Amino acid sequence: MSRILREIADAVEAGEVDDARELAQEALDDGESPQDIINGGLLAGMEVVGKYFKNGEMFVPEVLQSAQALDAGMQVVKPLLAQGDVTNKGKVVFCTVNGDLHDIGKKLCIMLLEGSGYEVVDIGINVPTADVVAGVKEHQPDILAMSAMLTTTMGAMDDVAKALKDAGLDESVKVMIGGAPLNQDYADRFAAYYSDDAVSCVNLADSLMSA
Amino acid sequence: MKFYEYLSKNELGQMHEATLQLLENTGIYATSERFLGKCAELGLKVDGHRVYFPRALVEKGLSTAPSHFSTWGRDKKYEIKWGEKKAYNHTCVGTPFILDVETGRKRDVLMKDLEDFVRVADALPNTDIVSCIFPQDVPTHAVVTMQTAAMVKNTTKPLRICIESAHETNFIIDVLAAAVGGMDELRANPIAYLEISSVSPLSYAEGPGNGLIDVVEAGLPLGVIPCPMMGATGPMTLIGCVTMHNAEIVAGIVIAQLLRQGAPVIMSPRVTFMEMSSGLGLWAAPEMGLAAIASAQMALYYDIPCTVTGFSCASKINDEQAAFETFYNSFLPAVGGVDVLGASGSLDNALISSYEKLIMDDEITSMIQRTLRGDAVNADTLAVEVVDAVCKAGAGSNFLSQKHTLRHVRTELWQPLVSDRQSYGAWEAEAKSYPDRARELAKKLLAEHRTDPLSPDALAKVEAAVQAAIDAGE
Ligand code: B12
Repeated sequence: MSRILREIADAVEAGEVDDARELAQEALDDGESPQDIINGGLLAGMEVVGKYFKNGEMFVPEVLQSAQALDAGMQVVKPLLAQGDVTNKGKVVFCTVNGDLHDIGKKLCIMLLEGSGYEVVDIGINVPTADVVAGVKEHQPDILAMSAMLTTTMGAMDDVAKALKDAGLDESVKVMIGGAPLNQDYADRFAAYYSDDAVSCVNLADSLMSA
Repeated sequence: MKFYEYLSKNELGQMHEATLQLLENTGIYATSERFLGKCAELGLKVDGHRVYFPRALVEKGLSTAPSHFSTWGRDKKYEIKWGEKKAYNHTCVGTPFILDVETGRKRDVLMKDLEDFVRVADALPNTDIVSCIFPQDVPTHAVVTMQTAAMVKNTTKPLRICIESAHETNFIIDVLAAAVGGMDELRANPIAYLEISSVSPLSYAEGPGNGLIDVVEAGLPLGVIPCPMMGATGPMTLIGCVTMHNAEIVAGIVIAQLLRQGAPVIMSPRVTFMEMSSGLGLWAAPEMGLAAIASAQMALYYDIPCTVTGFSCASKINDEQAAFETFYNSFLPAVGGVDVLGASGSLDNALISSYEKLIMDDEITSMIQRTLRGDAVNADTLAVEVVDAVCKAGAGSNFLSQKHTLRHVRTELWQPLVSDRQSYGAWEAEAKSYPDRARELAKKLLAEHRTDPLSPDALAKVEAAVQAAIDAGE
């Protein structure tokens, strides 16, 4: 791997936003391809961050800072990608369900999903079932992710699953859910996938994409 | 007993000043049109979805909040004297899971568990206020109404209810009124206080915003309970996070006071934090206890009643970690001066309830109350006379047969609920751990304790109110 790509990876790992942006530009000027800058530099750096986080060696705000460095580099490179070049691992629409205002868990999952290369559209908290379906129609994600922290709101997930079926969308999108009162048994009721925390949320998304 | 001052008056003054700045310059964000409309009517500065609080109105609102009032049990022998900093104990609300008393395993809470848990809380000597665990087998649109009904049936103690969303508030109030014979009686001697949560940082969502107005208009005691997480939904400094959520609580209190001067209000600060290496929400020690005492001191500064979380821990089982975390988090704010310590019976950051833990927390409460009772220093307690008498009576004399001893022997010593104090030999015969003994007591109470039932008439009215809540969602 070239020296500049290694430097980009290091900048992402260290959360140096300006460095990541400038180095990405420099790499382009040096003739590196956008795909190599992304895979060999930006995402390579983020992969290391992910490992540190999993081992408890990096803290959430530090990971977020790295994600920002990654994004700064992406902004430089993205416009130069040829049409049809895939820049992400997959697309996720994420919401907190109807009646529920808890969103810290959702934000953490989004941060790690984005950090690992997913494109995520956050459609908000307290999202009515119809709006979730509309969001799926509009953004056509690979995965719909839903979060609920209340016993009283988890039922809304069931409603969304039914509504997706009614709208004929259940074949084209996989559903993953999470939140403290939930478990896989509950997810099984409507053929969805559950995982317990933000790290395993990324693993789950990866396995859904490769399935 | 003199309260422990973790923060100085001067420091509290700076936190109050920062609170005023936040309310005046940053303001709160709100979504409910009804709430925003009321704020404008009350003279607050409303600009789109933001509400700004002029200092004078904040000071005015804080000055009319009562420093003392009472809530009651359905049985009037239970009185919560808010403002006297007695460190009452309330059971944890909202846990979706329970440790099964037979298997010791974690499982979903069912309605039957809620009834049983409340009944055990009813029986315990130092568990003062009952809140409810969260059953997963009832229709969700009426769940808080059904919980409230289960509570009034299974305890005669005072209650605390988190009103989940504004649509159920009126049914919940109907159940409470039915239990005591009508709305006038409920207003005069409330058997519950109702809490709403602002959403940190500095916002009031639709449900909580409307709920605040409903509770104040119903004439019932209101609690404001934000739950910011340091570094996530609040600043990364403990003092900053306490101050920011203090501003949220003060905003709610000021609005309540402007709506109805003298309305009974309760500050329920709950700064929590995050395990930064995983993102997990923590209610562990020591930060939970430290933020609680700092927040409780703010409430003392305003002279407004206050609850904090006391009996919380990150431990998943009733082990040593659960015990020391819980003791730290409850004892520290209690000696700083607080009305109520919450979350008794909880494990795993308020996600699991446990009978053994409920009993441990009851016992910790009595130890705390022994501490708060203090030790008076006077001629009688100094006991110089009796020491003199015993010493001069000659070799071998002791205190056991002194009148002074007899007079104090029943009041001076704390009595445990289930803690072991036997000789080693006696203990060894069964060699039971604390959780073993607590579980035995729980099983005994489950089998034997009967709560004084509601009258047939009250019961019928409670059931009718529940039915109305169920029908409303169908
Ligand atoms: C912070 C908090 C609040 C804040 C929320 C602020 C916000 N912006 O989110 C406020 C104060 C607003 C709040 C309000 C209420 N809350 Co609250 N709250 C909490 C608390 C303390 C922490 C939640 C949290 O953020 N955890 C940290 C995050 C990072 O963890 P997480 O959400 O679990 O997410 C992780 C995993 O679950 C998973 N995950 C999450 N989503 C997804 C999605 C997918 C697809 C996947 C794969 C994974 C995944 O990954 C995340 C990261 O690791 C919990 C208690 C607790 N210990 O969890 C109570 C808790 C959830 N709340 C509770 C209650 C009762 C309420 C209220 C009803 C109280 C009231 N006063 O009326 C209101 C309801 C408001 C509403 N309509 O939503 C109860 C729930 C009871 C129940 N069984 O239903 C709890 C359990 C506390 C309790 N014991 O009472 N609350």
